[in-house]
Amino acid sequence: MLARVANNLFWMGRYIERSEHIARFLNVNYFSSLDAPTTESQSRQRVLRSSLFMTNTVTTSVDHLLDEQEVLFNIALNIDEPYSIINAVRNARENANSARDVLSTEFYEALNKFYHAVLRYDPNHFKVKGLFEFTTLVTESTAILREKIRGTLFHDEVYAIIMLGISVERAIQVSHIIQTKYTDALESTPNDELFERSYEWITLLKCIESHDMMRRFYKKTPDSSNVLEFLVLHPDCPRSIMNSINRLNKHILSLSMEKLPSKNSTAYLVGKTQAHMAYLSIETIEEDIQGHLTQIRETLYTIASSIEKEYFLYN
Amino acid sequence: MNVSEHPIFSCYQQHSEFFDEIFEEDGNVKEVYKKLFEIYSGHTVEDFASLNNNAKSSFFNQGITFQVYGDQEIKEKIFPFDLFPRIIDSSEWDHIEKGVLQRSKALNHFLHDVYHDKKIIKDGIVPIELINSSANYLSQMNGLEPPGGIYNHISGTDLIKHSDGKYYVLEDNIRCPSGVSYVICNRTALKKALFGVFDAYKTFTVTDYAQNLLEIMQTVKPEGVDQPNCVVITPGIYNSAYYEHSYLAKAMGVELVEGRDLYVEKDKVYMQSINGAQRVHVIYRRIDDQFIDPMEFKPDSTLGVPGLFSAYAKGNVTLVNAPGTGVADDKAIYTYMPDIIKYYLNEEPILNNVHTYHCSRPDELKYVLNNIDKLVIKPVDEAGGYGISIGNRLTKDEIEEVKKTIAASPRKYIAQPIMSLSVHATYIEESNSFEPRHVDLRTYTILGKDKDFVLKGGLTRVALQKGNLIVNSSQGGGSKDTWVLKS
Repeated sequence: MLARVANNLFWMGRYIERSEHIARFLNVNYFSSLDAPTTESQSRQRVLRSSLFMTNTVTTSVDHLLDEQEVLFNIALNIDEPYSIINAVRNARENANSARDVLSTEFYEALNKFYHAVLRYDPNHFKVKGLFEFTTLVTESTAILREKIRGTLFHDEVYAIIMLGISVERAIQVSHIIQTKYTDALESTPNDELFERSYEWITLLKCIESHDMMRRFYKKTPDSSNVLEFLVLHPDCPRSIMNSINRLNKHILSLSMEKLPSKNSTAYLVGKTQAHMAYLSIETIEEDIQGHLTQIRETLYTIASSIEKEYFLYN
Repeated sequence: MNVSEHPIFSCYQQHSEFFDEIFEEDGNVKEVYKKLFEIYSGHTVEDFASLNNNAKSSFFNQGITFQVYGDQEIKEKIFPFDLFPRIIDSSEWDHIEKGVLQRSKALNHFLHDVYHDKKIIKDGIVPIELINSSANYLSQMNGLEPPGGIYNHISGTDLIKHSDGKYYVLEDNIRCPSGVSYVICNRTALKKALFGVFDAYKTFTVTDYAQNLLEIMQTVKPEGVDQPNCVVITPGIYNSAYYEHSYLAKAMGVELVEGRDLYVEKDKVYMQSINGAQRVHVIYRRIDDQFIDPMEFKPDSTLGVPGLFSAYAKGNVTLVNAPGTGVADDKAIYTYMPDIIKYYLNEEPILNNVHTYHCSRPDELKYVLNNIDKLVIKPVDEAGGYGISIGNRLTKDEIEEVKKTIAASPRKYIAQPIMSLSVHATYIEESNSFEPRHVDLRTYTILGKDKDFVLKGGLTRVALQKGNLIVNSSQGGGSKDTWVLKS
């Protein structure tokens, strides 16, 4: 496969995954705040600040009064904001266009339909009553796309590259979401005990579509400890960071021509990260939650740029 | 069965000056269309409106579109697809197929001659000025032997049916003829929309084009190569024919590359894959001659590959079509086609040529200047239907203007009698019914080493505007599925 096309496929995977996480975060965060138990958790301003932080990693000062319609529009449909969903979808399709010959007709048609649906979505309708509808359109369409990737593409290097993009982006987005909700929990609760049992942990689980399964697994009320353990470390939670890193490892090994990855290869880096994560305990993470999440994300960025260097370099 | 019998044909006005593909002069349906007409008559006006909409959104969703460059933004447009197929019976097709193959082979001989001994010029059949003054003549090709001996691997031949009911060739396109992907899309779309009609006719498939193209590319591999690595090169996703480039690569299962994916080292071509360099042997290039290699041609081209031509000249890579073929699909060379066919193949031309007046010849120039209202004036080297003046559509002032332009550079123009393109029933959205519209036919012929193939079907292009004779997609044309019937 061409190095340039591989680059396009990797980023297509990343952008598809990114659009989904932003949409779901926006949806869950907004709607679960409506009947949240505390005034802090209900605060619309905090929801907007948190949404901006998650998508843009920009911290907005508490004194700065945000305009709801403007913020929601910027995140969802503003073509001039690089972090918007519409731009993620546009970039996904642009990258798919450059790799169109290696993609299945079925997948491309699904992506193209999704792109046109987002492009045609009326911003005025969105601002007033389209938030739920639009974010659902995005999360459902991306689910279809993932199935078309899994079910209509040949599971060769093309598939491996797309899955690398999806997995690395998922791990990055999930760590972003955890960090955002961790900050929300800190801000909305005055003491440690309340922090541990904050409503924000439930919202966090829902933002990552893992609430029901977490309940089933722990049979306990979600708290900081079991939620973080589930979302960071549990290999069977399909959206946990551990799960994404396992997938990264699987797909990088299928790409790598080396049986024993050499020290400066991506496969080696991913393997090392996987081993480190596999033996990481929640107790260790809890000693410095912020620090660990930041470190995990930095490792993921290093992995992404190592993939680019090793496989995508051309001219 | 008569044209007046069904509401979907209520707006169908017959004109005796044009050949009608479907109806006899008395309004009765021609034999070959009878079953189709019967099936279509079973549908209501509303059925066709909804089928038409479904077909349109299907093309749009599949991204079978081309880009139109406006002042401010790039718009994505579908190439309009018509619901009424064109049917060509087996004996008529036989004639066309033999004719286009004959032309393609003759052109291949002509190209070899032009870039080698120039016998046809020495023998006084084709004037030397036509070659020397042609912008598409590449001196770099002199003396080169293309692998497998083929120059015009792919030819798109444009035909029309005149009011006398005979086919005439309007143009041979042997640089980068496009449109074949629409032939396949049209068939797919018609099958989805009106699958029942295929029960009534035994039609040849059109989906075997890509397979044949790949096989033919493999026959012209460079010498000493066992398993050639074939690729398609495209200018990129913003090119108006990008869909076609990606379709062909996908259908052949080969890589679609851009210039930046390739490089040349020691006169060999490589592509940059995820596992390092990979040798490339045969390139179906959808980039014009002038852009393929900045070291040999346009130095500022970023679309091509530096050193590609030198690799080609050394015989290490095959370019499909060969560089320099444009010298033979020039509109001035067209007028010598009957002589060219006789000269190389010792055969009578199977298909008719339209009589052509050369403005470069003083006596013919005089005739042209005095009879502009009866002629179509064409620039010799423009593609896409641009720069054409149709004499009987011009005002007096415009005629004077055209005269001046021709007189200023006569070599640049030819003139032909106004040919009347035949008409075919075409679904018109505005009237929600079928109306007669002008059509032409582009056929696709591929030549390889000891192998050739003519796609059984072709692109029937239709001018959607009433009375318009220009069928090009860039000027608002659509297309029809084209059936070649099995005998």
